[in-house]
Amino acid sequence: MSTPSSLVRLRGITKHFGPVTVLRDVQFDGLAGEVHVLAGENGAGKSTLIKILGGIHTDFEGTIELDGQVVRPRSPMEANALGVAVIHQELSLIGPMSVADNIFLGRTPTRGGFVQDARQHEAARHWLHQLELKLDVSQPVERFPVAIRQLIEIAKALSQNARVIVMDEPTSALNAPEVNTLFALIQSLKQRGCCVIYITHKMDEIERIADRITVLRDGQWVGTAPAADLPPPKLIQWMVGRDLGEQFPRHAQHLGEERMRLENFTVFSAGLSSRPTAAEVSLSVSSGEVLGLAGLQGSGASELLLGIFGAYGTAVRGRLFLDNSEQLFTSPGQAIDAGVALLTNDRKATGLVLPLSITANVTLAGLRALSPGGWRRPARECRAAEAMTTPMRLRAASMDTEVGVLSGGNQQKVVLAKWLQTRPRLLMLDEPTRGIDIAAKREIYQLVEQWTTEGIAILLITSEMSELLTLSDRIVVFHRGRVTAEYSRSESSPELILAAAMGQTASV
Amino acid sequence: MKSFSWKSALASPAGRAFLALLLVLAAGAIFNADGAFFKIGTHRDTLRQASVYGMLACGMTLVIVSGGIDLAVGSLVALAAVCAGKMAIHWNWPWWQVVPGCLAVGLTCGAVSGWVTATLRVQPFIATLSMMVLARGLAKFASGGMKVSTAVQNPDGSYRYVDVPPLFRAIDHRILGGNLSVVTVIFLVCVALAWLALSRHRWGRYLYAIGGNEEASRLSGVPVTGAKICAYAASGLFAAVAGLCQAAQEQQGDPEAGSGYELTAIAMVVIGGTSLMGGRGGIGLTLFGVLTIGYLDKILSINAVPEAGRLVLTGIIIVAAVLTQRRGRT
Amino acid sequence: MRAKLFALLVFISLAVAGFGQSAKTYTIGMSQCNLGEPWRVQMNADIRAAAAQHPELKVIFNDAQNDTLKQRAQVEEFVSAKVDLLIISPKEAQPLTEPVARAFEAGIPVIVLDRAVLGDKYTCFIGADNKKIGKAAGQWIAKKLGGKGKVVELKGLMTSIPGQDRHTGFREGIAGTDIDVIFEADMKWLEPDSRKEMESALSRFDHIDLVYAHNDPGAHGAYLAAKAAGRDGIIFVGIDALPQEGVAYVKQGILDATFRYPTGGAEAIETALKIFKGEKVPKKIVLGTRLFDKSNVATGGEPLP
Repeated sequence: MSTPSSLVRLRGITKHFGPVTVLRDVQFDGLAGEVHVLAGENGAGKSTLIKILGGIHTDFEGTIELDGQVVRPRSPMEANALGVAVIHQELSLIGPMSVADNIFLGRTPTRGGFVQDARQHEAARHWLHQLELKLDVSQPVERFPVAIRQLIEIAKALSQNARVIVMDEPTSALNAPEVNTLFALIQSLKQRGCCVIYITHKMDEIERIADRITVLRDGQWVGTAPAADLPPPKLIQWMVGRDLGEQFPRHAQHLGEERMRLENFTVFSAGLSSRPTAAEVSLSVSSGEVLGLAGLQGSGASELLLGIFGAYGTAVRGRLFLDNSEQLFTSPGQAIDAGVALLTNDRKATGLVLPLSITANVTLAGLRALSPGGWRRPARECRAAEAMTTPMRLRAASMDTEVGVLSGGNQQKVVLAKWLQTRPRLLMLDEPTRGIDIAAKREIYQLVEQWTTEGIAILLITSEMSELLTLSDRIVVFHRGRVTAEYSRSESSPELILAAAMGQTASV
Repeated sequence: MKSFSWKSALASPAGRAFLALLLVLAAGAIFNADGAFFKIGTHRDTLRQASVYGMLACGMTLVIVSGGIDLAVGSLVALAAVCAGKMAIHWNWPWWQVVPGCLAVGLTCGAVSGWVTATLRVQPFIATLSMMVLARGLAKFASGGMKVSTAVQNPDGSYRYVDVPPLFRAIDHRILGGNLSVVTVIFLVCVALAWLALSRHRWGRYLYAIGGNEEASRLSGVPVTGAKICAYAASGLFAAVAGLCQAAQEQQGDPEAGSGYELTAIAMVVIGGTSLMGGRGGIGLTLFGVLTIGYLDKILSINAVPEAGRLVLTGIIIVAAVLTQRRGRT
Repeated sequence: MRAKLFALLVFISLAVAGFGQSAKTYTIGMSQCNLGEPWRVQMNADIRAAAAQHPELKVIFNDAQNDTLKQRAQVEEFVSAKVDLLIISPKEAQPLTEPVARAFEAGIPVIVLDRAVLGDKYTCFIGADNKKIGKAAGQWIAKKLGGKGKVVELKGLMTSIPGQDRHTGFREGIAGTDIDVIFEADMKWLEPDSRKEMESALSRFDHIDLVYAHNDPGAHGAYLAAKAAGRDGIIFVGIDALPQEGVAYVKQGILDATFRYPTGGAEAIETALKIFKGEKVPKKIVLGTRLFDKSNVATGGEPLP
């Protein structure tokens, strides 16, 4: 029996960030023609390991071998040249540049110094076609929603003809059909002899595509095993080091009086003269209830929440009732004052002020209440911030750390802390567990549970079906800006929801 | 509780700004122009000379932290100086009318700049560039193109000479046994007020947040438009204080005053360590920047370094200071 | 028949021409490079005042706002409007030489003020000589100090010709004396900068006899610095002598002397009138300067050759 040779081999990888040791003596083997899942909790070191392989962190101990050759990429460009392509969780596309320019950044086809647009566009379209995507490749990337941008990022990696392709949470912004396309693509990459290193927190994905799984915990290598040998309970155990027991139980219901009601609410997120992104939406949520909003890309659920929150100013129509009194929020400040909070789906762009500290971010939305008369009380702010972040088990060197250097999961906790600090009566969550590890997800589910016992009404958007079904008391499905179905928790199932989200009203 | 380490303290933005100042002072001690650098009068003069620029740098810090820039402050110095000249010399207003009058002019122009950039969403560079031209025009218009001085023209074309107003004498005056200029005291008061606003007031936190991520701030309920307008209004206010001090020190209101001062103010802020992108920095850093540039200028002056040499040296030092700042951030 | 028509036309045009001549007004186009400096505002004021004495003159003032291209365009406009005479104070010599030459070749007399153009396609250049003024200042200083003393020279922008000339002229004026220039600095014509340089001089030197500044604002700034430092007895000399600045400073006892840098405005109108009368005018008129010091300021100063 011949052992297939490692395409990529990492040994003894150690990395420090100042006094903190993020990786300690980590090893990894990636074989040609396999999908190798890299799993681990928040802060386990997965992203750092990938950044070392991808040439972003050049200051580390240990060796990297590609095809038996010891290499040490000094930049992402060098890593690409060596055959390693990395698709990061935090997308690396340049907003104002076109799709084609982004895909070929650094490898722009030129003749005598002049960019060959036609050639570039054709090649870009070719790679996007592999992902079953048809786009105007001359448009700036920032015009497209996050999900499409993620696919463009993948197309970029594919176009580099890499042999080692690393994907860090590639499906976090994709819907089910898009995920299927991606997985089919991964299969074809396997057949071509590539090694696909796949980082994800979604158990169903791991079950679907993993050949082997490597687990990291607290910066150290725990073990590597074929997927068949690591069923979910054992995998979780390796990741957290303790037995988490069964799958998270469905949350108990604590329904009270009606908290919020929408009547024919319409949102014109692109301005009053264009088509509405959410139209004639009528729904209600009670105190202590979790109302799940389900929908595929472009369903308008996120825009609905932004419209309720006042982010679009007066570009909304219809009526909103909060505890039976009519409201109209034309600015987020008004909504916050009335006890409404919105956690957006893009924490770096719209959730956090990256240069500021954890304390500053956590106290930002509720700063008025913390500073009567205008003068700030730093001690009071510290206490308030810590009171919020400690129960969430936020891991950081100190509360003065810039949130820009925190991991994705910790950043998300900071944003959650910010909104809880405002003591909302209606909390709207748009993808609250995006980029968070399993243990932290459990913590958040527990927090949701607790919030409902406190009487907070929750609107929840999530693209993770299991999360939607676990947390929601009722589910409302959106398709192209309109409500197409509503299911109670006992009625709902993934098939019904998906069908309604695709515009088909199913017969049970 | 973090333990204090010299290495990390010196690597911090404040540490590096302090080091830059120390280096300049050391250069002064070495090139001391026959001992002139060690005289207390030289230090008093350095502070006096830097004060007007320093006042502008205080306002500029507020604006830059919020992610903007204010190119109009030089022209506002001239406009305020002309107003001060007119009010105090020609119209003989008492000080408690002159001071609020000048401040009101600066505040209004600044608020207009702020409104144009925050509400009309014009880029700060363009909005304040327009105000720069407008204010300079207003200064020339109000003064008739001539300096507003103690030589007042009579209707028949001859001149009469009025006294220098007591307000001007009070400002261009030395205290503490002749060792400290009143203008320096005014500058330090500006520093204190700006520091309080930026570090201790809610509005200051809002400015940092807006500079760091405007959209996230908006969605967190920060009153972005109002906060920005106030930042530019404050910058105009500090420029008016600077203009009043300038007029007092020249005993006239010169419509050509302040030309290019905005660039010096920006250089002082940048050398101090505040980032032009916004979201980082502070008044303490700017104070280091003011002193660094102020002392550099003085050392070149007492050593009678020829003009070309001064420009080259100042340019090199600004670049060096900015480069040493960048190394601290991975 | 055609001959009669022709004669009629000739008669009519002669009659009209005759009419025009008896009530002839002259239109003068004045192109000023910028009105940012008080001295240029003064130049326009001098022209206006001189022209006011002659009702048959009409002067159109244009301000090029320190933009060479704008000034070119203005000259060309004057040519198209067929003004009777062009007065121009150019921003720069080279770019304005051609438009001025074209005006001159089109038959419009051109008077160039203060800054010269290249070549000789103009009627008359009127300007002052900064070197002469600097030398006069130097000589006055030498006399005042009795040929010996410690002097601070505060210079105007040394990349400009006036600055260089006022410097070299001054050095010529004090050549051969025991006057020692102990400190010199470029204060770029600006009062705050001058004050700063004077403070440096004061802190370095305990004994200063006299300060020579290339312009009156510079001298004023130095005076304020000395006054604040409590250093009395220093003599201050400036140049420009605008009525509300330099001359006023002498009257107020701030400056001991200042030298007029004449604008040439009045002389320009005088020359224009001569041209209109058909008289010949010299190609170049060098204006003399005027000394204003305590002894003669009340009587309007003393002209120097």
